[in-house]
This record gives sequence, C-alpha cells and structure tokens, in this order.
Amino acid sequence: MARHECDVVIIGGGITAAMVSQKLAELRPAWKVIVVEAGKRLFDVENRFSYRQRSLDYGENQWPGDFVADQGARGLISRTMAVGGSALHWGGVCNRFSEEDLRMKSLYGVGVDWPLDLDWTDLEKHYCEAERRLGVSGEDSPLPEDKRSEPYPMPAMTKSFNLIQLESWAEKSGIPFWTTPQAKNTVDGYGGRGKCRRCNTCEICPTGARYSPDWTFKQLLEGKKIELHDQSIVRKLVLDDTTTRIVAARAAKEDGTDDDVEYRARTFVVTSGYCWSSHLLLLSANSRFPNGLANSSDHVGRYMNGHLAYQTTIDLDLKIYPGMNEQHSLISRQFFRCRTDRPYVRHDLRVWENGGGRGPQLRDAGGRLLLGDALVADWRTRLTRGTARVRGYYAVEPDKESRLTLDPAAKNKWGDPLPVIQHRVDQATQLRASATREHFQTLFADLAKANDGRMANVSNLSYQDHPGGGCRMGTDPATSVVTSEGRTHDHENLWVVGSPTLPTGGCTNGTLTFVALALRSTTAIAR
Amino acid sequence: MRRPKRSSVNRPIIRAVQRRTVLQSIAGLFAVRPFARLRGLSQTPAPANLTNENIRALRAIADVVLPASIGAGARDRAVAGFVTWIRNYKEGADRGHGYGSATLAAPSGPSPAARYPAQFAALDKAAEALGIASFAGLPLERRRPVIEAALNTPQAVMRLPARPTGANLVADFMGFYFNSADGFNLAYNAAIDRDACRSLEGSDRAPEPRRT
Repeated sequence: MARHECDVVIIGGGITAAMVSQKLAELRPAWKVIVVEAGKRLFDVENRFSYRQRSLDYGENQWPGDFVADQGARGLISRTMAVGGSALHWGGVCNRFSEEDLRMKSLYGVGVDWPLDLDWTDLEKHYCEAERRLGVSGEDSPLPEDKRSEPYPMPAMTKSFNLIQLESWAEKSGIPFWTTPQAKNTVDGYGGRGKCRRCNTCEICPTGARYSPDWTFKQLLEGKKIELHDQSIVRKLVLDDTTTRIVAARAAKEDGTDDDVEYRARTFVVTSGYCWSSHLLLLSANSRFPNGLANSSDHVGRYMNGHLAYQTTIDLDLKIYPGMNEQHSLISRQFFRCRTDRPYVRHDLRVWENGGGRGPQLRDAGGRLLLGDALVADWRTRLTRGTARVRGYYAVEPDKESRLTLDPAAKNKWGDPLPVIQHRVDQATQLRASATREHFQTLFADLAKANDGRMANVSNLSYQDHPGGGCRMGTDPATSVVTSEGRTHDHENLWVVGSPTLPTGGCTNGTLTFVALALRSTTAIAR
Repeated sequence: MRRPKRSSVNRPIIRAVQRRTVLQSIAGLFAVRPFARLRGLSQTPAPANLTNENIRALRAIADVVLPASIGAGARDRAVAGFVTWIRNYKEGADRGHGYGSATLAAPSGPSPAARYPAQFAALDKAAEALGIASFAGLPLERRRPVIEAALNTPQAVMRLPARPTGANLVADFMGFYFNSADGFNLAYNAAIDRDACRSLEGSDRAPEPRRT
C-alpha cells in the first residue's frame, strides 16, 4: 500500500476544496496539503471550444469523462465526479441568502435556526471574501435589507436588450428587479481569466470568464502549493485505536494503476459535497462508531435539504431576440422577507429571455406542409411577441427523515454500498403546500397582466434543487454533526465543509453561501 | 411522322389523372420502410461520408425546402454544413448526464447516415417514375411533389428534429438548417448569432439586421 503523509488531506476536489486549499495555502504556506479526488482532472483548456461546439452540434458531454461510471446514487441530481466537481457545469449564479435564513425558527417558527455563533455580520464578511475569490460581477440590490459591506468585485454584466425589455415589463407589477450576480468576468484579467464573450454556454465556458474550480487548482499546482491526487476514491476514514482522532484516509485508484493508497495527516477535511460526504462517514463505521464516523448523534445523512420551484412562461407583447444572453437573468429578492401577518412563503423571483414554442414548424395549423419561404413566413407570424421564463425558488424545510442512507442492493466495483437520497419535507411545509401554489399562481398572473401577457401552465420542479445537508451544523452535538465552523462534534481533527453543513436550503442558489461558510471554516482549520 | 397534338380541351383532365397516378406511385416508393424494400442497400455498411451523388441530391432537396430568398450560396453552405455534420458524427460518444438526473445518458448511437442510402435511392426511384434518371435531374417544380411524398409517407413527419436522427432525410436536413443559428437569424431578420462567442459591448441594443 502506498502511503502519503501531509498536514491536511482534503477529500473531494470541487469548488469547496478549491476555496479551502487556496485559502489554506495563503494562511499556512508551510503546510503540506493533498487534495484527493475520485474523478479525473480535465485541465485541457485548449479543447474547450471544441467540446462546446460538439455539445452544440451533437449533444455530446461538454466535459467528456467527468464522471465515474459505477459511482452513482439514486436521488442524485448531478453525476459530475471530476476535479472541479459540479461547478464545472455551474451557471455561475452567486446569490446570497438573507439574514432571515439564519433565524428561521425564531422569526417564522419553521425549520431550525442556524448556530447562534454564526451571525449575519460574520457571514456577510465571508460572502465578500467568496465574491472576491470567485470573481463576482453584480448590481446592488435596491432593497435596504440587502446592504453590502463591500462593493461587488466587478461591475454588473451588461443588461441585454432582452433583459431591458423584460425588466420594463416585470416592474409594471410593482416588484423591483435587477440583474443576478454571477461569477463571470466583466473586466479582462480578473483572477487571470478573460472577459465574458457571451458564448451562451456557461455550462462550459470556453473563455474562462466564468469561474471554474479547475482554474484555482491549476494555479495552486503551478505554484506548488498543493498536491492533487485525482482518480483516487477515498473509501474509508480510519480512527485511531485509542482516541477519537482520525489517523488515515484509505483510497483506491480508479484507474487501477496502483495498489490502495493511505493518506496520513493531522487534519482531515471532507469536501465531497452533499452526497459523498455523508456517504464516506457512513462507510467508515467501525466498532466504536457503528453508525458511521461523526455520527454519535445519528444525524449523518439526515435533514437533506434544497429548495423547490414554481415556474411558468409568459407570452408577452414584446420584441425579444432569444439567444442574446440566455443564461443572464433578472432577480427580485422582495419575497426573501415574508410578512408575519401573511401565510409563510419565502422565495426568490427570476426572469429569463425564452425562445420556447417559437421555433420553426413543418406544418401549418391545418396540417399542411410548409417548405422554403412559406415556412419562414409562418414562423415570423409567431415572432411578433416574446416570451419570458419566470421561476421562483421557494424555501422548504427538511424532515428529519429526509435522508441519505446506504443502499445494500447497489454497490460499486469495490463492493461498497452506494448511497440513496430521499428528500422529504417536514409537516409544516406539506401543510402550506396549497397556499404556496396559490401564492405563485397569483404572483405570476399579476406579472402577466402587463403587456397583454398570457401565462402558460404553472409547474413545480420535480426535485429539490441546489441540494445540501446531511452533516448539518449546530451547537448541540445531539442534533447536529458539525459546529458552525465545520469541525465534527465527535472527532477533533475531522472537518466537513461546504454544502452538507447547511441546516436549511434557503430560497435561492446556495453555492455562494456554502463557499462563504467553507472560507470561514478554513480560518478555523488553519488555527 | 409527328404525332398529332392532344386536344387542348382534354389536357387538364389528362394532366390531373397523370399527376395523381404519378404521385401515388411516388408515395408508394416511400410507403414501405426503405430498409425493408431495398434490402441490398440495407446490408451495406453505413457510409461515413455522403457520396457526390448524395450531395447533388441534397442540393436538389435544398432548392425545394430551404427559402429561395436566402440565395443559392446560402443553400449550398447549408448543404456543406450538413455534409460536415455527417462526416464528423461520432458513434458511441459520451453524451454526459443531464442536470436533475441520477443517470448517465446512453452514448450516441449509429450515424443517422446509415439510414440515408435507402432514402436517397427512393428519391431516385421516384424521379425514375417521372421519367428522369435521378432526383437531382428533376426540374425544380417536379421535385416538390417527391419531397412532399417523402415527408408524408409512410407516416407524416409532424415536427422538424432538433438534430438529424436518420428517420427522415428531408426532415433531418430541414431541421438542421431551420434550427441552426442561421435559421433563427433569418426568421428574426437579425444577427443574433446565438451560437457565437460575442462581445458584451452593444448587447444592450437590439441586434443588427441579419447579414446576407
């Protein structure tokens, strides 16, 4: 068995790992840090235009080989397993949660309060740090509650002609809208990356304008700040014989080129995302921790969270040119704050340009074939109006039984049981489901009223988006897995950092929040 | 000796009868799935590239199904793009995994081009039924009924595919063009250039008119 010794081993190579290792390299330059990732490193930047083109032309994977074939799980929403993680495909949206998210129980009597030693001032400071490190461009919210202590690192992305039209329409409802902050360069050279060229394919940004963790890893490797061991899947954390410290992480090489590998370190940081972090802790069960490491509370894999969404499209008397900058959107945070004299519902509100339903048609309404110029003439009759795509992510609180468990019926090639995730909302969320739907129906209808808008059917998202949880943070070791800084209650040198620590999933994209929390954790790890 | 001219009075009726008969026979050529009917062709290996004859036929198809208003040059570019797409198609390619899904997409299947030889052959057979050796040799106005038959039989094609599938050559080609960024630029009469990497500057204004 090959053996590596280091100060810190970071397990998982996604966006959280990139941020933790970057900050650790700054705070503790003498420490030896090894990042261990199950998937491959896809650093061939020179091929990204070609991958993008093949994705457009043939529907091929924009990131070829960004998965491990037998490492899946029921309930997963992304199979990405590679250096960079799910953030390889990231749209770059960098919304903050709001102060209310930290005190849901106290304010609204729902869910749970986040740990009291984590207050908004503290989190906001780390939001600013996260925005600087990721390179976020944004526009200030007009709402005083969204006050920032620092300006965005870069000016907001140009509002496209389409978004200008849509904003003027949407604001007729009396709801203020502005543009969504994004980890995309609007100036050349920020973080060593180029300026956005509006390629319209943010899931693979061929220019590097959209932040991707592989850039950070490449910079760290070039500076010899870290070691990166890819295609190495950590299967088990090993406990010291007499204490509760972790002494090793045992891994297998995915490419089959080596024997098992053992990593020995002073500190172990699990940054494997909402699924594989809990999975590793459960797989690492032993006679002293029969339910899994860090799991004396039986809370590992519980309170899996995220948020749901209602969405629709609205046909409008507006000229829209779909394809100008499809992934840029408008946002309103007006509904982050729920009035206490109204039924509880918290959500964001987003508006995108949309070309759906306005494509070419082979036959006219009577079923007659349309060829050549006749097809174009028919098509143009449908282009005199435009379409807005509207979506609201709304907060749902997880039940304790919203779980990740090991599935004995599904095993990988190493014989390890794979995880299965079953999201379940709590009773209070279930009880308000119809009121929530009614709220969105009314809201979307109000939006549609302007510009002769015609609303399509309202649909609900079929899965919980932006998932987190499984190792929730808290001050009480009986009801949580880690402290607000990510240190496990059970093992002083084992940390879980990133999305698994979120007690609740908020009502907007979670990446910036768990990156901010990871940066806060890193300060503590470096201590 | 020259044959006497047909009575001009009877000509429309004769033409109508002849046209119906010819169209029925053309439709018959597409009515049976080409692979089943043209067994010999179906056993040949799938071509990696389209032949010169195929490309001539595609140009003849393009004259009918693409807008005349874009001009011959643009139609030729559309044909060239389609031929390149076929040539660069990869079987068994990684098609990734959709967001929101726990499963990997199946790798790409056989090239759609594997199903085209029989369909090109059926077009030529239809032309033969009209007394012309190949589809590409048909005068423009006589190609249209053949194209319509190809889109209506054995089942009527109702929608243009987002990408070529091989199920219907004509629909594949039409979908390839009309669903492209060029197709959308044409429809909107604007240089949106959806698939291009473009500057942010100027994106706050309506796109410039389409370049011809």
